Amino acid sequence: MPNDRQAPGPSDIQKAHQDWLERLYTPALDRTPERRAFEVDIGKTIEPLYSPASLEKIGFDYARDLGFPGQYPFVRGDSATMYRTEPFVISAYSGYGEAVECNKRFRKLIGLGVEQILVAFDLPTQCGYDSDDLMSAGEVGKVGVSIDTLADMELLFEGIPLSSVKRVGTLGNAIGPIVAALYAALGEKQGLDYSQYTVNLQNDPLKEYLARGTQIIPAEPAARLAVDPVVWCAENAAHWSPITVCYNHLNAGGAGSTWGASLALANAIHYLDLLVARGLPIDKVAPLFHMFPDERHDFFISVANLRALRRTWARLLRERYGAVATESLALKTTVYGHGQETLQEPLNNTVRIGFGTLAYVLGGASYVYIASYDEAVSTPTEESVRVAIRTQQILAQEHGFTDTIDPLGGSYFIETLTKTTADDMWAQVARIDQIGGALRVIDSGFGREIMNRGAQLRQKRLDSGQRPWVTVNTYPERPNVPNTAFRMDPATTERQHARTAEVRRTRDNARVQRALAAIDQACARGENQMPAVLEAVRAYATVGEICERWRRAYGTFEPSVAF
Amino acid sequence: MAKVGLDGHDVGARVVARGLLEAGMEVIYTGIRRTPEQIARIALEEDVDVVGISILSGAHMALVPKVRSMLDPSVLMVVGGVIPQEDIPELENAGVSRVFLSGTSVAEIAGYIQSAVSFTEETNEISDGH
Repeated sequence: MPNDRQAPGPSDIQKAHQDWLERLYTPALDRTPERRAFEVDIGKTIEPLYSPASLEKIGFDYARDLGFPGQYPFVRGDSATMYRTEPFVISAYSGYGEAVECNKRFRKLIGLGVEQILVAFDLPTQCGYDSDDLMSAGEVGKVGVSIDTLADMELLFEGIPLSSVKRVGTLGNAIGPIVAALYAALGEKQGLDYSQYTVNLQNDPLKEYLARGTQIIPAEPAARLAVDPVVWCAENAAHWSPITVCYNHLNAGGAGSTWGASLALANAIHYLDLLVARGLPIDKVAPLFHMFPDERHDFFISVANLRALRRTWARLLRERYGAVATESLALKTTVYGHGQETLQEPLNNTVRIGFGTLAYVLGGASYVYIASYDEAVSTPTEESVRVAIRTQQILAQEHGFTDTIDPLGGSYFIETLTKTTADDMWAQVARIDQIGGALRVIDSGFGREIMNRGAQLRQKRLDSGQRPWVTVNTYPERPNVPNTAFRMDPATTERQHARTAEVRRTRDNARVQRALAAIDQACARGENQMPAVLEAVRAYATVGEICERWRRAYGTFEPSVAF
Repeated sequence: MAKVGLDGHDVGARVVARGLLEAGMEVIYTGIRRTPEQIARIALEEDVDVVGISILSGAHMALVPKVRSMLDPSVLMVVGGVIPQEDIPELENAGVSRVFLSGTSVAEIAGYIQSAVSFTEETNEISDGH
C-alpha cells in the first residue's frame, strides 16, 4: 500500500492512551481506589488497559512476531489446522493400587472417551525400589499403580491393546530406559510392531533435582540415561515421543511459569547437546521432544506462556541448533489442567480446573490432561475422574472454544504478554548459559534459590491477602480432608509382594543375571542402556534390580537441604 | 523439618521452614526421602525441640508413628500435609501434638509451636563440632 496517506501516527495513539489514563482513569481512582495491586504470580504488573499503543511500545510486528499457524515462529499454533481438524487429545493420568484393579479403571476411562492413558506409577516404582524393598514401606500403590516387572504391565493392559488408544505412556523420570523398555516389551507381548502404537514418556530427570524429587542417581549420569531411549526411539520408533521436558513441578514448586519455562528449556538444551554430541542430526532428534508447560495462577498469563514457549523453542532450535525441519521447530505441548485447588469445599475445584484448562486450550495445547476436583485430597475417585473427562470433552466440543485457531491472537493484552514473556524466557536462558547450563543450575543452588524465593513470595501474598483465594483467605473455611476420600484396599501391598515373589521364582533367573550383567557392562563402557535394559525387562528383571545396578555404577543423589 | 518416605514434594516443607526461621526459630531441613531412622538421628544430633513432618503421599499412617517412636519423648512432633480427618485422632494417639492441613498459614504454625514449646535460653557450652 502506498504510504501517501497519514495513518494515525504512533505518537497519536500513544497520546490518546496516555490521555485516557490521565484524564479519565486516574481521577476516578480518587473517588474509588483500585481493589488491590494487580501483580500476577510471575511478577508482572497488569495495566488497567491495553491498546494499539501497548503493541507499539514493544515494537510488535505481526509477520515477525506471530506469523500463521504451522509457520515459524509457531506462536499461533504448532500445526496449520489445529483444532479445526482434531481437537486436543483427551488424556488421563491414572493409576493406583495393583495392576489388576487399575486395569478395570483404565477400561472405564476408555469407555468414557479417553484417547490417551498416562500411567501413574507409585513412588517406589518411580524411585526405583521394588514393592518389597524396605524403602517402599507404606508407599506401595499409594500415588499410582505398583509396577515391579513386565508381568504387572501385562496385567495392567490386559484386554487393552496398546494400539487401541492414541498414545500410552508414563512419567518415569528417573527410570526412562526402564519405562521405554516396559512399553516396548509389552507391545511385543501383545503381538504389536512398534509402529502400531505410540508411547509418550516424560523421562525428564533434571527437573526432579529442583522439584518433585524422584531422582535416583546424580544428575549428570541421569541425563545421559534419559537420552538413551531417545536415541533408541530415533532408530526403532521415530513416531514415539520419548522425552517431554516439563515445568509443571518447577512452576508449582515456586519458579513461576516464565522461569519454569526457562529452566526447562535449559534442561532441554542439555539433553539436545548430549544427543548432538552422540552424532545425531538435530532434525532427527528434535521432533522426538515435547514440552509440558504449566501456569495455574493467572489465566491470561497461561495463554501467553504457551504461545511464548512455542516461539522461544522455535527460535532456539533454529538459531542455536540450525534445525530446519518443521517437526523440529513446531513444538507439541502436553498440559495438565489445574487451578489453585483447595482442601476446602473441593467441588469448587471443578471450576478452577475448568478455567485453568481452558487457558491451555486457548493457548493451543496438543495433549490435555486435567486434574480431578479431589486430587488435592487423595487419589481421585471414579466420580471425580468422570467429571474431569467430561470437562475436557465440554471444552473440546461445546461453547465454540475450539472453532477458530488461536482465538485470542491479536488481543492487545495477550500479544503484549506473549512478546514480553518470550523476551524474558530468551534472556533467562542466556543467563543460565552464563552460569554454565542446566547441571550448574542444580549444583550451584541457583535453581533452588529461584524456587525458594518464588514459593515464599506466594505464601506471603496469600498470608497478607494480596492474592485472594476463595475459602482460604477470603470467605475462609476450615480445610477438611473428608473420610470419603479414596482408600486403597490394605491387602494390596501383600498381594503385590506375593505376585512379585512368584515372578522371581518362576522366571529364568540365569537369563536375568546375564541381562543385569550386561547393564553393568553398559554402565562401565558408557554405552546406550536400552538394549541391555530391554533384555532385562523381557526376562522379568524387577525395576529395583535394574536401578540397583545404576546406583552401584553411578552412586545415589544427595538431597538438597536448602530452604 | 523433615520429609519421610519417598514423597519428593517439598514446597510446603521449605516454605514453612523459612517462615519459622523468620519467626525467630532455628530451623534445620533434612531434605527429601529420609528414613525414620535418619530423621531420629538428625533430631538427636541437632538436639531439636520440635520435629515437623511434611507428608503428602498418603503414607502417613505407616511412617509418622514410626518416626515418633524413635524420637525422645520430650521432643514435640507436628505433622503437615494432606491427612484425612479420621486419621488425625489416630496420629494424635500415636504422639503427634498437632496436624496442620495444607493451606494453613505459616503464622498459625509458628504461633502453635511458640505456645507449645517452652524454649529455654540454653547456652550450650559443650561444642561437639557440628
